[in-house]
Amino acid sequence: MKNFAIKLSGPAGSGMMQAGEILSKALNRLGFYTLMYPEYPSRIRGGDNNVLIVFSSEKYIAAVEKIDLLLAFGKENYERHKGEVGGPAFAKATAGKGGKYEAGELGLNKIAKKLGNPLVANTAGLGFIFRILGFELRILEEQIKEEFGKNQEILKLNLEAVRKGYEVGVSCGLWDVGRVVRVRVGKTIVNLTGNEALVEGILKADCGFAAIYPMTPINSILAMLTRSKVQVFRPEDEIAGIMAAIGASYAGKRAMVATSGGGFSLMIEGMGMAGTAEIPIVIIVGQRTGPSTGMATFSSQADLNFAIFGGHGEFPRIVLSPGDLKEAFFLGAEAFNLAEHYQVPVILLTDKYLAESRFSVDKEELEKIRNSVDRGKLVEGFEGDGGFGCKRYEFTKDGISPRAFPGQTAFLTNSYEHDEYGFSSDEVENRKKMMKKRMRKLSGLEGGYGRYGENGAKTTLVGWGSTKEIILDFLKDHQEFNYLHIWRPWPFPKEAEEILKKSKRIVCVEGNFSGQMADMIERLIFRKVERVLKDDGRPFFKRELEARLIK
Amino acid sequence: MKEDDFKTNQEITWCPGCGGYGFLTALKKALVKVKKEPKDVVVTYDIGCSANAINFLNVCGFATLHGRSIPVAIGAKMANPSLTVIAQGGEGGIVTEGANHLIHAAQRNDDITVIINNNFVFGLTTGQASSATPKGLRTRSTPEGNPFEALCAVDLALISGATFVSRTPASAVERTAEIIYQALIHKGFSLVEIIQPCVVWTKELVGQDGVWVEKPFANKLDVIGNEKLWGILYQKLLT
Repeated sequence: MKNFAIKLSGPAGSGMMQAGEILSKALNRLGFYTLMYPEYPSRIRGGDNNVLIVFSSEKYIAAVEKIDLLLAFGKENYERHKGEVGGPAFAKATAGKGGKYEAGELGLNKIAKKLGNPLVANTAGLGFIFRILGFELRILEEQIKEEFGKNQEILKLNLEAVRKGYEVGVSCGLWDVGRVVRVRVGKTIVNLTGNEALVEGILKADCGFAAIYPMTPINSILAMLTRSKVQVFRPEDEIAGIMAAIGASYAGKRAMVATSGGGFSLMIEGMGMAGTAEIPIVIIVGQRTGPSTGMATFSSQADLNFAIFGGHGEFPRIVLSPGDLKEAFFLGAEAFNLAEHYQVPVILLTDKYLAESRFSVDKEELEKIRNSVDRGKLVEGFEGDGGFGCKRYEFTKDGISPRAFPGQTAFLTNSYEHDEYGFSSDEVENRKKMMKKRMRKLSGLEGGYGRYGENGAKTTLVGWGSTKEIILDFLKDHQEFNYLHIWRPWPFPKEAEEILKKSKRIVCVEGNFSGQMADMIERLIFRKVERVLKDDGRPFFKRELEARLIK
Repeated sequence: MKEDDFKTNQEITWCPGCGGYGFLTALKKALVKVKKEPKDVVVTYDIGCSANAINFLNVCGFATLHGRSIPVAIGAKMANPSLTVIAQGGEGGIVTEGANHLIHAAQRNDDITVIINNNFVFGLTTGQASSATPKGLRTRSTPEGNPFEALCAVDLALISGATFVSRTPASAVERTAEIIYQALIHKGFSLVEIIQPCVVWTKELVGQDGVWVEKPFANKLDVIGNEKLWGILYQKLLT
């Protein structure tokens, strides 16, 4: 039991997200790994926004249902969450009130009011938490300075608030958190959301154009790219978004869109066009609970089949599903290489849990990840001979034809079936050859998965996307399981198929109702695959996964 | 550059008498006058009769999807502003399936030229009513006459903020060429509606006359609702 879980809860607009971010980053400064999982309804003020912060001396942290400490900013919020207190560390708690606190009762609201801004009750709360956990105030102050350093007045206000909150903690006694061992100081732990890591990758890849219509959970990608060197187009709808991105890619820029299931639905016809016209495009799909508007601010892994099979006709595509910060960073960049190398649509599936939760990773591990820009076959400096001499869709052995850009030569690009020159064609022989050319493009793909745990384990867990850290947390105490993480669900990795054929027992862990990857594996290896599924919008919790996997 | 430099080796598949021929000639003339090489011109095409021009015009042609030629053109222009970018479509693509893209491109004043080949009907799908089919017209999908007033591309564009709006019949090749040329050199969003009634499905509309406007109106209200006006109807120069 090395994890400790805190929940902050308050009405929307009371600064829970920001407080959670500051707290988890301050904990990283102390040398802890952290998970911060936010839950919020579709409203801007009132209601219940809450953040779960779990910290540990070990990497890979799953969300938990039972918490060790609650700090609520409002009586209703307190009532709603007080029953959750009673986590593994709770029994050893020595502080009064049994680990349940309400800001008003503690006097934090009064402090904030006295300081002249009721909004700083949240930072006063952080001071309080730091004190009762026995952590140094200085570390929290450093984080506050990083957060508010740009505005001296606001900084001063918040520093006073944490100090006053810290004093309140003195009277509440000290918690015994001795079991939560601090990691060696001296190494830097980076704290990012999945979206932030993804954007780091996107920028690393020299993406030049992004068309994004707002939609949870990809809104922060739009906000970050807007402030970057990337040219951002704010389209009238997702159809215009993907079509403009395709236009930009065609004209020479690395281009992407980001959306969720509803917007992706609108993009499907455009994606098919990119498939047949062979225009590289990166489509980030942050899954949320569907169908239709569903539960707009909650997570899901139910769009795997849609990503793999969406669209009319058949065309090659790649589907990626990063599972943690490192993979989000790496695949955020690699998606562009794959799209341009193979001239195909690349769908990068994240979900609300990965996109908006905060995770932590050693900085040196993140810095180790390298991938250089691969733009694929190009006809650079091609001198045109009057246009219809350029075989944009030349038949080649690997199916990949050199790309040209407008301005280099006149050439045709066509969503109709076309011949090598791009002229529309319904001819039988041409159709057969052109289909085969496109469909053989991806035959050389390798990798796409990760293996964790002992090779001979009795049970092999299979997951994809954001369940990675959760399953790795589970694996720590359960060596009788090993784990196959599929980060490229399509084309399904051939090596992974071979591993599964030899596995004794296979259990798919997925955040959807029917077991979409389990279905796919059954089709591939002609064997029954067991399923542990969850479709209520929340992540798998640690104890829940244990209870369902160990009977 | 000569007109022939914009020619391809493909057979032209339009019906005899189709307005497409006049449009294609006018477009080539305009491209010659604007002194652009085929490699520096992007035309994004809709799907339909007039969009088959992708096979007949030697430029960087891109056959996109029905209703979606405008956003593809915007993306290409944003990525490489040195290109001359035209979005083509019939009235089926531009004011029916993709009318939202027309109004938003006009609103943003995106620096592209939109050419609408208006034949008042869905031609390639054998003559059904579109949003721009005149009220009362009998078509395959409105055998008792179209019950709706026609949507007018020029009106939509003007209301949405377009800075260059024109209408011209395909049969007036020289004048159409000049209007397309003016649209191509206009900075900002330009619209050229080319009137070319279908010789198969809307025969009764062939030969209709308009009133030529020699100088653009200064006031949009003088144009809106006047469907018989031809020429450069409204132009606002960026200051």
